[in-house]
Amino acid sequence: MSKTLLVIGREYLTRVRKRTFIISTILFPLLYLGLIFGTGYITEKTSRKLRVALIDSSGYFNKAIVAHANQQDSSSFIDYVTMDPDTVKKNYTSLGYDAYIIIPPIKWEEGAKNLSLKTDKTYGVVPVMKVEGKLNAIWSTIKSEKLGIDENKRQILNQSNISVDAKNVNDEKSNAKIASGIGYACGFLIYFIMLIYGSQVMMGVMEEKTNRIAEVVVSSIRPFQLMLGKIIGISLVALTQFALWIAFIFIIYNITKASGSASNNVSGLVGSVQTVFTSIDVPLIIFCFAFYLLGGFFFYSSLYAAIGSAVNEDMREAQSLAFPVTLLVIFSIVLMTSAMADPTGPLAFWASIIPFSSPIVMMARIPFGVPGTVPWWQLGLSMALLVLGFILTTWFAGKIYRTGILMYGKKPTWKEMIKWAFRKS
Amino acid sequence: MTLLDVQQIKKYFATQKAVDDISFSVAPGSIFGLLGPNGAGKTTLLRMMTGIIYPDSGNIIFDGKKFDPLKDIERIGYMPEERGLYKKMKIGEQALYLAQLKGLSKSHATQLIKEWFNKLEMESWWNKKVEDLSKGMSQKLQFVITVLHNPKLVILDEPFSGLDPVNSNLIKDEIFRLAKNGATVIFSTHRMEQVEEICNHIVLVNKGKKILDGTVKEVKQQFKENLFRISFDAMPLNTNNDSFTIVRQNDDYSLVVKINDGYTPNDILNYFLRSNANIYSFNEILPSLNDIFIRLVEGTPATRQFQNLSA
Repeated sequence: MSKTLLVIGREYLTRVRKRTFIISTILFPLLYLGLIFGTGYITEKTSRKLRVALIDSSGYFNKAIVAHANQQDSSSFIDYVTMDPDTVKKNYTSLGYDAYIIIPPIKWEEGAKNLSLKTDKTYGVVPVMKVEGKLNAIWSTIKSEKLGIDENKRQILNQSNISVDAKNVNDEKSNAKIASGIGYACGFLIYFIMLIYGSQVMMGVMEEKTNRIAEVVVSSIRPFQLMLGKIIGISLVALTQFALWIAFIFIIYNITKASGSASNNVSGLVGSVQTVFTSIDVPLIIFCFAFYLLGGFFFYSSLYAAIGSAVNEDMREAQSLAFPVTLLVIFSIVLMTSAMADPTGPLAFWASIIPFSSPIVMMARIPFGVPGTVPWWQLGLSMALLVLGFILTTWFAGKIYRTGILMYGKKPTWKEMIKWAFRKS
Repeated sequence: MTLLDVQQIKKYFATQKAVDDISFSVAPGSIFGLLGPNGAGKTTLLRMMTGIIYPDSGNIIFDGKKFDPLKDIERIGYMPEERGLYKKMKIGEQALYLAQLKGLSKSHATQLIKEWFNKLEMESWWNKKVEDLSKGMSQKLQFVITVLHNPKLVILDEPFSGLDPVNSNLIKDEIFRLAKNGATVIFSTHRMEQVEEICNHIVLVNKGKKILDGTVKEVKQQFKENLFRISFDAMPLNTNNDSFTIVRQNDDYSLVVKINDGYTPNDILNYFLRSNANIYSFNEILPSLNDIFIRLVEGTPATRQFQNLSA
């Protein structure tokens, strides 16, 4: 056991001391946030703004009302044109428009169906929807005027609504929106960590095999100790990274809270973070996250270790063997997305009990509330099965690893590897 | 008394009888050569002796007891044929790590490494990485790592492959020194000239079977063809006698003769002493291990064919 500790120490220290670890620890959250906000920002910024010439033959539209709508909503530009319709039809592109639309002589009580926005190119659905939305906004102003509804009344019409949030009577604090946000974040984080660190295990094993260090080391310790040491060492690296992120979040949260009174924006943010913290059981989530992160990592990384031991230096061979395993991880994410839609349904239940998908799916369900959404017995069963699962995969992988690490030459198939596993030593 | 007793071990792989019923014993303090052509099963045999793999059947007795890899491993040093080190790890840390895996304490290991590094002029390497070393240098490092924990049994798989004569000699001297200090050295090779120089005892394997076993002297005696070489100041006039047959007559007034059955070298000498020529030298021609090796291995296919074994 003390020798396994030595291996764990080496695997851990060589990785944590690397510059790439520090950089990735800092960059990953930034990239993660960048990915979420950046894509939203980019779609916002780069989405096409159509310039549309509006030819009105109904007589309801006028320049002022259209200009007001353009001010309210800049996602498209509608120009009320008074030119001869035929000129517009012929020359709209040279006049600087992407499209034109003709409002036929309609009645305000009836509206118009299937008007066509004439273009000379095919535009995506979104920009056309924006134009439709703006036209409807204008149309509703027109209707209000006709009905004699003034600005005040219109605001009441638009803004006095009933909004509905689900409250689980077993779990008063739970908030479905915050829970699903945190659930998604946890699920994806586990997914990324399993894939990234899983492939690190695989590459580590491949390195040891191709450099023939494995042979030197297994003349000192059992192959299983070497494999276990590597997996545990790397899992500790993942855990360290996770702990650092948690620490970052608390530090940043406390700093913003301290300086919060200065600006409204920040205190608003602090307030919303506080809502998040009070609506979920933070210690339970952190504990479960660490548990499922480790459990899932052990479950999959031992398989990745087995693959790494079976192949030679060729990365492509490794990838083709790893494909079925990676597919299981990706499939778990797909299951998670469906499970989130109905966190107490049968799919969510089974996917969070069965070990191959439970690390991701259960972790996505937990923020909805324990025991409100996830009863204690389900959590216990899922955890027990995951432990059983990773003991099984580690045992299985150990058998393959023992043979593979000393085997050079042709890449084995999964069938051959399974045969190695069930051969007597 | 033997240090290592290999008894009828077998190891079959899916398509090969890698080691097929081999037995031999190794005396303590000896330098033991395991010879054989490529693919003869040498590495498999060595791996079983280091406990990396287990034999399908047969026993290995180490130091009087059944070989127990878990316990005995710390008294064995193994250097595999294709040397392995972590490329990106600092050399000092690497040596320390591997020594600790062998059961040495950190402080003891550090001290031993420093001693060895001093001895082999490697002090400046401590903070270098393996990828900075040349092949010969990394070989030296690997050797140090193998023998650092002062093992009773040192197993070297092809220790000289890829080394230049200078480094080769360095390793050779260290092997001698280890044996002198009481360690037993087993090494595998297919370089016969080194075997003749270094080994006390050899075993030759081919196609998974042992085909020769004995001390270098015994083996040479076993395969000698009773050839002698005699040189003279001038060729004797009459070179016909019942005691020998002439194999070759050289231009430098020397003869290679084969003793006929029932005669001794003295009979030949007696005959020539009575002849008119002066004898300069008389010596037995023993076959080189290289010749023996080639003679034994020749005729068998150079590469092993794959067979289907259900075992």
